[in-house]
Amino acid sequence: MSDQVTPSPGKRRIGVYVCHCGGNISDYVDVDRVIDAVKDEADVVVARDAMFTCSDVTQEEIAKDIREQGLDGLVVASCSPKLHTTTFRGVARRGGLNPYQYTQANIREQCSWAHTDDREGATGKAISLVRAAVARTRLSEPLEPLVVETTGRAVVVGGGVAGMRAAIGLADMGLGVFLVEREAELGGWVGDLPKMFPNGTDGHELARRLQDEIHRRPAINVFTRAEVVEKTGTYGNYQVTVRAGGEQIRLDVGQVIVATGFASYEPEPGEFGYGAPGVVTLADFTRMLDEAGSPLVYHGRPVKTIAYIYCVGSRNETHPYCSRYCCSAAVHASLLVTAADPGVRQYHLYRDMRTYGRHELEYIESRRRGSVYMKFADDEPPLVTSDDGSLRVTVRDLLTGGDQLAIGPDLVVLVTGMVPRDNAELTTALKLPVGLDGFFNEIHPKLRPVETVVDGVSICGACQGPKTVAESVASGLAAAAQAAAVLKRGVAELDPQVTFVHPEACTGCGQCVGACPYSAISLVERGPAKVASIDAAACKGCGGCVPSCPEDAIDLAGYTDAQIRSMIDSLLVGSET
Amino acid sequence: MTTLVGPELAGELRRLGTFDAEVCMNCGICTATCPLGIDVLPRQVMRFGLLGLDDEVRRHEETVFSCLLCRACEASCPAGVHITGNIRVLRRWLLEKEAV
Repeated sequence: MSDQVTPSPGKRRIGVYVCHCGGNISDYVDVDRVIDAVKDEADVVVARDAMFTCSDVTQEEIAKDIREQGLDGLVVASCSPKLHTTTFRGVARRGGLNPYQYTQANIREQCSWAHTDDREGATGKAISLVRAAVARTRLSEPLEPLVVETTGRAVVVGGGVAGMRAAIGLADMGLGVFLVEREAELGGWVGDLPKMFPNGTDGHELARRLQDEIHRRPAINVFTRAEVVEKTGTYGNYQVTVRAGGEQIRLDVGQVIVATGFASYEPEPGEFGYGAPGVVTLADFTRMLDEAGSPLVYHGRPVKTIAYIYCVGSRNETHPYCSRYCCSAAVHASLLVTAADPGVRQYHLYRDMRTYGRHELEYIESRRRGSVYMKFADDEPPLVTSDDGSLRVTVRDLLTGGDQLAIGPDLVVLVTGMVPRDNAELTTALKLPVGLDGFFNEIHPKLRPVETVVDGVSICGACQGPKTVAESVASGLAAAAQAAAVLKRGVAELDPQVTFVHPEACTGCGQCVGACPYSAISLVERGPAKVASIDAAACKGCGGCVPSCPEDAIDLAGYTDAQIRSMIDSLLVGSET
Repeated sequence: MTTLVGPELAGELRRLGTFDAEVCMNCGICTATCPLGIDVLPRQVMRFGLLGLDDEVRRHEETVFSCLLCRACEASCPAGVHITGNIRVLRRWLLEKEAV
């Protein structure tokens, strides 16, 4: 790092740091020439280069310069601001400089990487970009984050296991909860299930336990036969309108958690014989097992042979994903059958068995207890026919050398998967992001698994995609923790780079109101006239309203008209030194 | 040709001794380790018995009797299937059928 400190007669004291990025930049951009070009610019008091500006050592040197040289503006010419804005804002803060008086010039993606065949051009462009960054920084003002108070309550949409567990979690963290359920009772799918894999926990009982826990917590307010119709408001303070029993109720909340679950795949008529007597879905079958005694009887006739067909409604053109729970659920159901009546013959026709994790043990157990597994090819599914009420399943079994085999079952169980629920109204009301598969989308499946791109709205459970009960509950708790992380502080800090109105210049024409995609602008009375007023908490700082104003009465903090103009001016000067 | 599967043959085999072909997970290690290299040995022959494919078992009588009972397959079987025991049961069943 070579020192090139020049005293400057200007009013500001700006430090400029040009990064080599270990050659990523300096192989194609003459870093020394960039330094030479800007070191004598007005207000520039420090101009240095560094092999890796983002390294700990250089970060500390910059912070030291800010303190010792009394810098009031910082420019780093390096990579994309997407990568290191937060890094260098942190450096500014550590040195005692307001983070919003920092500007990043992108001379890697926009210069060295884009112009590998033109060192002269790349260097010239880098000089221009750094000059523009200095120009912006020269006019920068310290900005403080907007602090908004948040409403310490959340609304949870959907009263299945994920939603119920999220509501309990939030209540136990001292937050108020509204739990909104479309059906007459809480419980969701699990409340309708008998013994579930892997441990034989009873679904009814599990749902009842959660309901009891909910009723024991006065902080949870339950609305049944209720649906969300609208969400308005700003970060941390939303108004969610719920329709319940013919009336509309307004809930004031700080966060929204969506836990609306899945729908069970309903086969088309004739799909694997669906519609013929004796052909049932896995959902039907689990209910039958719950109600039937031993021995198992269907329509008055004892069931001695069962054929299961796996992957119905999953891993095909319309639903290309694996539903994950169905293999394990079907194997578990077959073990319940064997436990009730060991004499029942069970044939499992599968594409691939995916009893992952501990569920594999039940797969092994089911084979030990006599279940026979047959594998069919993806392009040659089994054929189910019904003749005079007697069923016949034919399959080319790959495990028996591709022999064409037939089974005469009393019952055919179609092992159906999970599909997205029809939630059109909710999706519109909350502007929920929907993936190609029809399930709701999180920001990042690994690192931000319950947050959505919509501020204040998290998702959990099987509305995100197929999940087991354990996975749904875990994600319900994750959503509760995420919501509480915002609400427990009582305040939220928002980016101060938002727009503001110069009221004396505003004529109240209302052009900006229509230009705002976030409904953040309204016209308010100011004496006899009307002027535009921007809700800073609702503004996202996109700047869309700024050019719409015929009077130039709107500015974006951090990117004021004066700053943008000075950047353009310095770009027009060009790269001559 | 389509053959109807059924539990009867497996039942008959179990009356003659221990027959645990259902534990097999069809990995094929047994076939790979078989020194005789006969492709239906021993996984598929056992499966014929399990599914009730009498004719297939009869058609492969020579294969069933050609097994050396060396237990190389059993030593490698990850599911712990008593493969040579199953072959013995199949032989017994074939001999009984011939006697009839």
